[in-house]
Amino acid sequence: MSVAAIRRRAFDLFKETGLPSTRHEDWKYTDISRIQHVLSIDSSSTAPIDNHASIINSTAIADLDAYKAVLVDGVFDDAHSNLPEDVTVLSLAAFLNDMGGQAPDDIQRLFEVRGDEPLFNGLLALNSAKASDGVLLCVANNTVLEKPLYIQHISTQTNFIRHAILMGKQAEAEVIEHYVGVSEEKALSSLSSNVILKQGARLQHIRIQQESNQQTHIARVEVKQLQDSSYTLHAVELGCALSRVDVVVALAEQGATCALNGLFVLGGRQHVDHHTRIDHIAPHCTSRENYRTVLDGRSRAVFNGKVVVHKGAVKTDSAQSNGNLLLSKHAEIDTKPELEIYNDDVKCAHGATVGQLDEQQLFYLRSRGISAVAAQELLTFAFADEVLTSMSNQQVRAYIEGIAFAKLPHGAELDGLLG
Amino acid sequence: MLVIKDLHVSVVGKEILKGLNLTILAGEVHAIMGPNGAGKSTLANVIAGRGGYEITSGSVTYKNKDLLAMLPEERAWAGVFLAFQYPVEIPGVNNTYLLKAGVNAKRKQQDLDALDAIDFMKIVKEKAKLVELDPSFLSRSVNEGFSGGEKKRNEIFQMAVLEPSLALLDETDSGLDIDALRVVAKGVNKLRGEDRAIMMVTHYQRLLDYIEPDFVHVLANGKILKTGDKSLALELEERGYDWVKAEALGSEKSV
Ligand SMILES: Nc1ncnc2c1ncn2[C@@H]1O[C@H](COP(=O)(O)OP(=O)(O)OP(=O)(O)O)[C@@H](O)[C@H]1O
Ligand SMILES: [Mg+2]
Repeated sequence: MSVAAIRRRAFDLFKETGLPSTRHEDWKYTDISRIQHVLSIDSSSTAPIDNHASIINSTAIADLDAYKAVLVDGVFDDAHSNLPEDVTVLSLAAFLNDMGGQAPDDIQRLFEVRGDEPLFNGLLALNSAKASDGVLLCVANNTVLEKPLYIQHISTQTNFIRHAILMGKQAEAEVIEHYVGVSEEKALSSLSSNVILKQGARLQHIRIQQESNQQTHIARVEVKQLQDSSYTLHAVELGCALSRVDVVVALAEQGATCALNGLFVLGGRQHVDHHTRIDHIAPHCTSRENYRTVLDGRSRAVFNGKVVVHKGAVKTDSAQSNGNLLLSKHAEIDTKPELEIYNDDVKCAHGATVGQLDEQQLFYLRSRGISAVAAQELLTFAFADEVLTSMSNQQVRAYIEGIAFAKLPHGAELDGLLG
Repeated sequence: MLVIKDLHVSVVGKEILKGLNLTILAGEVHAIMGPNGAGKSTLANVIAGRGGYEITSGSVTYKNKDLLAMLPEERAWAGVFLAFQYPVEIPGVNNTYLLKAGVNAKRKQQDLDALDAIDFMKIVKEKAKLVELDPSFLSRSVNEGFSGGEKKRNEIFQMAVLEPSLALLDETDSGLDIDALRVVAKGVNKLRGEDRAIMMVTHYQRLLDYIEPDFVHVLANGKILKTGDKSLALELEERGYDWVKAEALGSEKSV
């Protein structure tokens, strides 16, 4: 079957399924009726290209030593991209074009959507049908991508993107996806990333969602890991009115390790929902999850962490922790670990906390001469920053800290305090 | 320096301090002893401004200012320092940054320029040496993973950097080994001076061998029941607290 045929089928599937509603268990807390407009999108329209050089420059992480891929409204911007020569990084659209629609199986499979897969929803089918472009990163066996690949996404209107990352045996790479939106409308950014890690491959994956406060971001990250591979995700949520991210990891062969880290810093009426699902299929795999939220105003966060330990997955080692800091009495968190364990020989731990700042810590800081407001900010910041301690890219970490900092109610008070 | 008059303090409806009087002059060192649960930490915490205590009557004056009307950080800026009985761990907050922020917040109140990183580090290194604190503790999160004794040493280190005029030491000697006790005493003695005062809560006479107090008080039944000199501590060590309480009861009856 051609890619085009697969995508037409996906569109039919979307027409059948429609948008997920709050009657759907996985979408119980997240109402996406605000993006009804996508229902009227027909199967042939494509996103117009609009090039905004100044926006690209002003929203990028400054001075990052990285390869760069820029997408504007879901379309690859060659002129502003800077890709490595020895490793394959391509525009997915250009690739499909070159192949004349007869893509290799690996690529075809990236567009396949089945109604019965974990965390399936209609938008996933729509994304397959509509994705205008994306980044195709193939790191060959035994190859290390020398610099991180920084993918900058700029959205001014509804867009659909599909990325694919294929890591060969013992390959290593770091990919930073940065979503900045400049739309004041209720635009949707729909994303799907497919990641495959072959034996011994290692990927550091950072997602920074920083779209404008009217926008909606709906993404799925699907990861398949083979033997002894290692996947680390840092999913940082700062922007949007509504953001929903599903992370689905399959630990398919022995010795694979994944670490999913999440940080949400929200205020106003922002709503962010992350559903993660880790399938321990093979024995001797390790999974770690560490999600933290800082919620101010009337913001709301949802964290659902599902871990499924399959029958043969003996010696599974899985731990999940979710900490939530409510800065306002109107903020809300719904957190739920879900463990399904089908064998005895496993180590699974999970814990969630919901709370305010610790009075004893606050008093300690004040007794040392830190003002009450600064003490609150300092503790809030320290709480959030814990998630970033596992990030190896210090430049990106500092960038995120700066943005998260500015979002705190009195961030300015702390300027210089952290030295 | 510090004048406490008829102080009544309740915690969750239970009266802990019942008309406590205490005056500490500049240059003096006062030791507070007393049975567990008598309210020694309560007294130190109330002076430092910790929340959760209901002050039903009485006054606390510090350098002629109404201390009770001041926020905890204002008290710190004015030179009050509490070395906690149980120092709290603060993951993610760097020990040195905290001190730098504290020092510079205080300097700002005094209309002094903030210390730059180099000057500040010079002070920090000198004080760390004074209390024999391993420099690796400087870059760690406040008290995180410190042993009991290390936490206490860190409190004295902070005190040395912040140079308070009124230091309240709440059982800083508890849990210290002999060498650590000697070092902590060195830090405290170094701070002693004409224009400073120290109030130290302790259960052990031994501390007073290292830091010679001007006065020893017994806090029991919500009040200072007895005041003496260093020899009172020796007597308490031998005889316990019951006789002090009995004596106080007797004198109350005879009034
Ligand atoms: N937050 C609180 N809630 C309930 N009771 C409290 C609280 N804080 C203090 N108390 C009570 O107040 C009394 C005095 O406590 P405090 O800590 O001041 O005693 P202390 O003299 O320092 O004792 P120790 O020698 O054991 O340190 C105790 O009975 C204690 O249980
Ligand atoms: Mg005490």
